[in-house]
This record gives sequence, structure tokens and C-alpha cells, in this order.
Amino acid sequence: MSHPVPAPAATVHRPLDAVAGRWSAAFLEADDAERHLVEAALRCIARWGVRKTSLDDIAHEAGVSRATAYRVFPGGKERLVEVVVRHEAGRAFHAVEDELRATDTLGELMATGITAVLRLAADHPVLGAVVEHEPELVLPHFAFHQLDGVLALAEGLCRPHLGRFLPADDVAPAADLLGRVVLTYAFRPTTWVDADDPASVRRLVDTYLLPSVSTSPTPATPTPAQERFPP
Amino acid sequence: MGAAAAPPGEVSPTRCRIVDAAYACIARDGIGAATVEGIAREAGVARATVYRTFPGGRDELVSAAVTQAVIDFFAGLRTDIGEVDDVATLLERGLVAARRRLDRHAVLQRALHDEADQIVPRLATVMPSVVDLLRADLAERLARERLRPGVDVAEAADLLARLSLSLIGSPGRWDMDDPDSVRRLVRERLLAGVLDA
Repeated sequence: MSHPVPAPAATVHRPLDAVAGRWSAAFLEADDAERHLVEAALRCIARWGVRKTSLDDIAHEAGVSRATAYRVFPGGKERLVEVVVRHEAGRAFHAVEDELRATDTLGELMATGITAVLRLAADHPVLGAVVEHEPELVLPHFAFHQLDGVLALAEGLCRPHLGRFLPADDVAPAADLLGRVVLTYAFRPTTWVDADDPASVRRLVDTYLLPSVSTSPTPATPTPAQERFPP
Repeated sequence: MGAAAAPPGEVSPTRCRIVDAAYACIARDGIGAATVEGIAREAGVARATVYRTFPGGRDELVSAAVTQAVIDFFAGLRTDIGEVDDVATLLERGLVAARRRLDRHAVLQRALHDEADQIVPRLATVMPSVVDLLRADLAERLARERLRPGVDVAEAADLLARLSLSLIGSPGRWDMDDPDSVRRLVRERLLAGVLDA
């Protein structure tokens, strides 16, 4: 682009590697105050929408001081949607972390991850409503140069898992394509890819995605999951 | 499928003039500053004429201008690409040309920078029609190619249409300026599961 554009979302307050760690294994031990506030934020947003929710409301709902709220949301209201989306995506991944780690093949892994994100998009009580009622606050995060931040998040979430099956150089391109596929079917569902029909997701993965993500003929030797996820 | 976007309403000369004027106003002052009055002045018609043609007022005018810009964009892209038979070449040329057009699209770039909250949702409402058109075109072309066993033309066309639009809008890590890198993206990634090598 020929003009200055805002930095991609993911790099704003945390380097990418930190994002990757933060949103996988480290998620549960992460900052309790932050999770508490994000949950409060979701309750406020469910009640009033994003536009009418202030950081003061969130602090009040969470029973913490304004200072604490600003520490967790350093970008203030402006970055609220981003922080919440990031959190919920991390949580969806964390919820299936054991399932993802238990997969034995790349195809199984991708199908599990794709299903988890499509379910999140379809079932999330708050995010869906925000997309519907305040699209102007959400959609820009997922389009044009701002998508880079979301794809970086996807890469961070996928990297430890894809790294079990793909050579290091193939991980980032694979995560990028997977991120795009999941997002398009999350925002605009289709009948032929249905998170509630495992066979349809497996078909998407086996027929179309596997050949696209693993360009090298020999997959990397799977690494024991424990090595990558210290307890 | 095949439900191509019908032209919004009848295409009367007055309507065209007003849409062009709306686009000119947006290009000059931004979406937020566009008013029915300013657009009427730009078009050289009375405000009442604008409201008669666009009962939804400002909002409908802006949407019509954005839709028209998208139609023009893809019409131009078609010209850039020229006559192509095979899907791989179509995607390669299309990705490169579309990226170049988007980068040079000063009005869109400024809107994305200054008024993303106004432009992106409007583009998002137009995109399903674009996906429909692209999908129909790809399906027709895929039907003439040698496909890998098990590939379904409609599914492959759907996936390719969506991925192409995603890559056009947000190239991310893919270098669309380097023909060799685009070639590999198209042949080794996008079409790897679709075409029989």
C-alpha cells in the first residue's frame, strides 16, 4: 500500500511468538485478571453492544478499578473487539487442545481445528450478534490489511500443532491458507462444509486442503506432544 | 448458483448520472462527507430527483456507488486478464492484476485507511454476488479441466472463488508482485487438490 497504514493488530502490544505461546499452552495460567475482564466485557457487549460499552462499564461489571481495565485493554475501547476476538479464538483452541494433541494425522488435526473454529463462529452467543448488529466494528478487522493480524493469530494458534506434521518452512503457509478457509466458511457458511457433519469437514480437508498444505512429499516425523507443551 | 447480481433497479441515464456523482463526491470528500445535497449538485439534478431515484437517501446512494465501483473493478480486471482458457493461468493473471488494481485504487485505499468502518461492511454486502459470479465462471472452466479423482466441480469452484478473493484483498505473506511466487501459490497450493497434475 502506498500510504501509511496502522500496524497489523497482532503486533501492537505483543510480539508474534509471544502470541503463539500465550494462546496455546500458557492460556490457562495466563492472567486471571484479563480473563475476568474479557468475560465482563462479553456480558456488557451482550447487553448493550460494543458501541455503547465503555471501559468504565467493563471495570464496574468486573468489579475492578479503571486502572486495571486500562492495563488489560491498553488500546482502550478502540482495541476492545480485537482483544475479545483474540481471547475467544484462544479459548476455542484451548478447549480442544487435548483433542488437537491427540490427533495422529495431519488430516485429523486440520479437521478438528476447523470444526472447532466453525463451531465457535456459529455458536458464540456474543460475537455473532456483534457481527450482525455492529458489522462496522468487526468486519474491518477481518478484511484487507487488517486481516494480517488475524492471520498472525491463526498462525500462532496453529504453529505448535502443524509443526508436528509439517516441515518448519511449510507451517506458516499452511496456517495462512487454513486461516483463510476457516474464516470464509465461518463468516459465510455453505452447505457443503458443515461443522456438525464430520464427514463434510473431512472431505474438505482430505480432498482439497491436504494437497495444498503439504507440498513436500515426506511429512516431518511427528514430535511427541509433551515436548511442545510443557505441563 | 448462477443467481448473478441483477443490476440494482432499472438503469436509467438519470440513475447512472446520480451514481457517478455519488462516486465523485466520495472520491473527493470521503464517504462520511457525502450528502444528498452535494450529490444532487454534482449530478446537476434536483434533490427531489435524487430522492425519487434513491428513496433510501444517502445510505442507498453510498451503497449504489460502492456497488458500481465493485462492478467497474471486476470489469476492468476482466480486461486486464484477457482471453484465458485454463484455470491456472486465469488465477495467476487474476491475482496479479487484481492486486495491482487494488493498490492503485486511490479511492478505495483512502477509504480503507480513513473510513474502514464505513467501506468494509458495504463491500461485505456486495461480496456474495461477486463470489457467485466468480464461482460460476470457475465452475464452467473447471468442468473442462482434468480434475483429481473425487473432486467436485461446484465445491472446488466455491473454495477457489473464496480463496482468490481473500488473497486479492489481503495478500498477507504471499508476494503478488513476483510472477514466480504467484505461479507457485496457484499451482502448488490453490490447485494442488483440484487439478490432476
